Amino acid sequence: MSFGGFRSLQLRLAVRLAILYVAAAAIAAGIFVYQAYDTAGSLNDRELGLRAEDLARAVLTDSAGQPRLDLPAKLAAAYAAAPEDDLFAIRDTNGRLVAASPAEFGERVSKWPPARDEPSYFRLSGAGSEDFGSENYYGLSVALQTAAGPMWISVARTEGSDALIKSLLREFAFDAMWVSPLLMLATLGIGIFAIRNGLKPVREISRKASSIGPNTTSVRLPEQNLPTEIVSLVVSMNRALDRLEQGFAVQREFTANAAHELRTPLAIVTSALETMDGDGELKKLRTDVARMNRLVEQLLRVARLDAIALEFDTVDLNKVASSVVATMAPWAIAQQRTIAFIGSEQPVKVKANAHALEDALRNLVENAVLHTPCGTEVTVTVDCAGRIEVADQGSGVPPKDREHIFKRFWRGPAEGNEGAGLGLAIVSEIMRAHRGGVSVGDNPGGGAVFTLSFPSLQAGEAKMAGKGFAGSHA
Amino acid sequence: MRLLVVEDEPRISELIKAALERAEFVVDTVRVRADAREALANTPYDAAILDLGLPDGDGLDLLAELRPARNHIPILILTARDAVEQRVLGLDAGADDYLVKPFAMSELIARTKALLRRPGAALGTTLRAGNIVFDTIGRDVSVAGIPLQLPRRESAILEHLLRRQGRVVPKSVLEEKLYGIDTELESNAVPVHVHHLRRKLQDAVASAEIHTVRGVGYLLVETKG
Repeated sequence: MSFGGFRSLQLRLAVRLAILYVAAAAIAAGIFVYQAYDTAGSLNDRELGLRAEDLARAVLTDSAGQPRLDLPAKLAAAYAAAPEDDLFAIRDTNGRLVAASPAEFGERVSKWPPARDEPSYFRLSGAGSEDFGSENYYGLSVALQTAAGPMWISVARTEGSDALIKSLLREFAFDAMWVSPLLMLATLGIGIFAIRNGLKPVREISRKASSIGPNTTSVRLPEQNLPTEIVSLVVSMNRALDRLEQGFAVQREFTANAAHELRTPLAIVTSALETMDGDGELKKLRTDVARMNRLVEQLLRVARLDAIALEFDTVDLNKVASSVVATMAPWAIAQQRTIAFIGSEQPVKVKANAHALEDALRNLVENAVLHTPCGTEVTVTVDCAGRIEVADQGSGVPPKDREHIFKRFWRGPAEGNEGAGLGLAIVSEIMRAHRGGVSVGDNPGGGAVFTLSFPSLQAGEAKMAGKGFAGSHA
Repeated sequence: MRLLVVEDEPRISELIKAALERAEFVVDTVRVRADAREALANTPYDAAILDLGLPDGDGLDLLAELRPARNHIPILILTARDAVEQRVLGLDAGADDYLVKPFAMSELIARTKALLRRPGAALGTTLRAGNIVFDTIGRDVSVAGIPLQLPRRESAILEHLLRRQGRVVPKSVLEEKLYGIDTELESNAVPVHVHHLRRKLQDAVASAEIHTVRGVGYLLVETKG
């Protein structure tokens, strides 16, 4: 049987189980019916045997020394009541008939071979016979010891006498057949339920597996409470994940080491260039080296971000933002831009890694200063809803680029030469590690606004701020 | 002004030496911790620049040895270990400031000067920025050699900005400084004083100016050219 159409293991198993179950039930019912018939048959046989023994007890020797049947009144009445239903014939060992009821049965029996000690069963068709009517008979012949010596006794009764039992059995068999589709449905249902239940750990595993990504290589599938058939699969999966994680770690370490090793020669080149006097090419060279420094720093940050699980503390966004502004201000002023910090009145506390957050914010401020025109101001605003906004007055980010700018190594066509396209990717990854996000929009006064948002503001803090913030970032 | 540079990478050491010498410092360089220990014991340096990863051991250990012994020489740590724990460790061990490699030489010189401008350090008595000279003992200020009369509060602000020049001084820190002078401080006292001070410096054609970092504080930067 092909189940190619069923893609679901659940359904496949359930259907097969249901078919098996119904087949088993049918076989069981069949065996039961057969047994019942058999039992009914052997009850019949036993009764016939008892009749033969009763008859044997009633055989006496008369005064002439001849065997004679002397039935007790009750038995005689019973046989006489239905001579066509209950037959008997008694012969002596010479085959001579001693007694018979009805006589025609005696005539038939007298032609039969001698009876043995073991009862032998026979069927007799009475069709067409005057005395027997149209009944079929079932009977036995046996040799029994009587008071007049051994006798051959044959008894028979109409076959229809166990009709009630047989009709009950037929009804049972019919019922069983009629119920089987229902049984099939029920077993299918139970099967699906049971298999579904049994496969629950598998669904758990697949849910867990779907959370595994380049940043979460340490996740392993649970090996407990699993069906034994799946354990080995899960164990090998976990081994494979171990190896992958190792590979990732090696890769990250390589990036980190490479970036790290690049720093010293770069530092040498940078400071050597600083000591030289001159304009033109030298100035360009300095810019190039500065760019390279930045790239190496960012590579290192990316590698570190990938490699290290961040530890979170409760930090005040006001403190983080003002410290970044203070650190960046001298550089911004050297670029002839100003920078301002607008804090919220209350501390804005979030769960965060302060250093990672500073990195993210520094990247945004750096970008903003590079994009805002000479003489304008970059503002860093913290609001009580747990957001930090960095606004510049540059040309802004076109809507079509907004979903791309946070990808690694993505560089806008208009961006010119500065930047390697890593800064915003770093910001985005840092924020993702905080279960927050970074987005970009338009500054009402022209330019771009980058917003860092955090998922959970401590509830008490929000109430204290009294601004009715509904926690839309949750 | 004599400085000790402890740095094992010869090229970097050479470049630091060259840069500091151009800033008119006298510079000795050593490559290993043992030499550094000896040099510090024998020569009264005004400040030391210390690399943390040395061939014969951790620079932090050297710091830990110096501080309990009388030595209060200002120390600037250079480190490639940008892990912040390391920086904090360095400051805890008694370093006065740190710079993470790679750094700009100009930054190194600015930081070194800032260390030397601390009260009690070599440059602590005469503070300079561009053509501004501030004698902290006589509390005399001159711009391009011409004395500039400043009220006490403005000179207190200027002194502090000079000591931390090139870096942002939080408004709250300046407020604290003024609090010692004025017991009743108006909320806008600092901006007002800074405003006056800035105008006076401009009028005197000073080659350094005070920038406002709105929401954070102020910083004094030498004007270029």
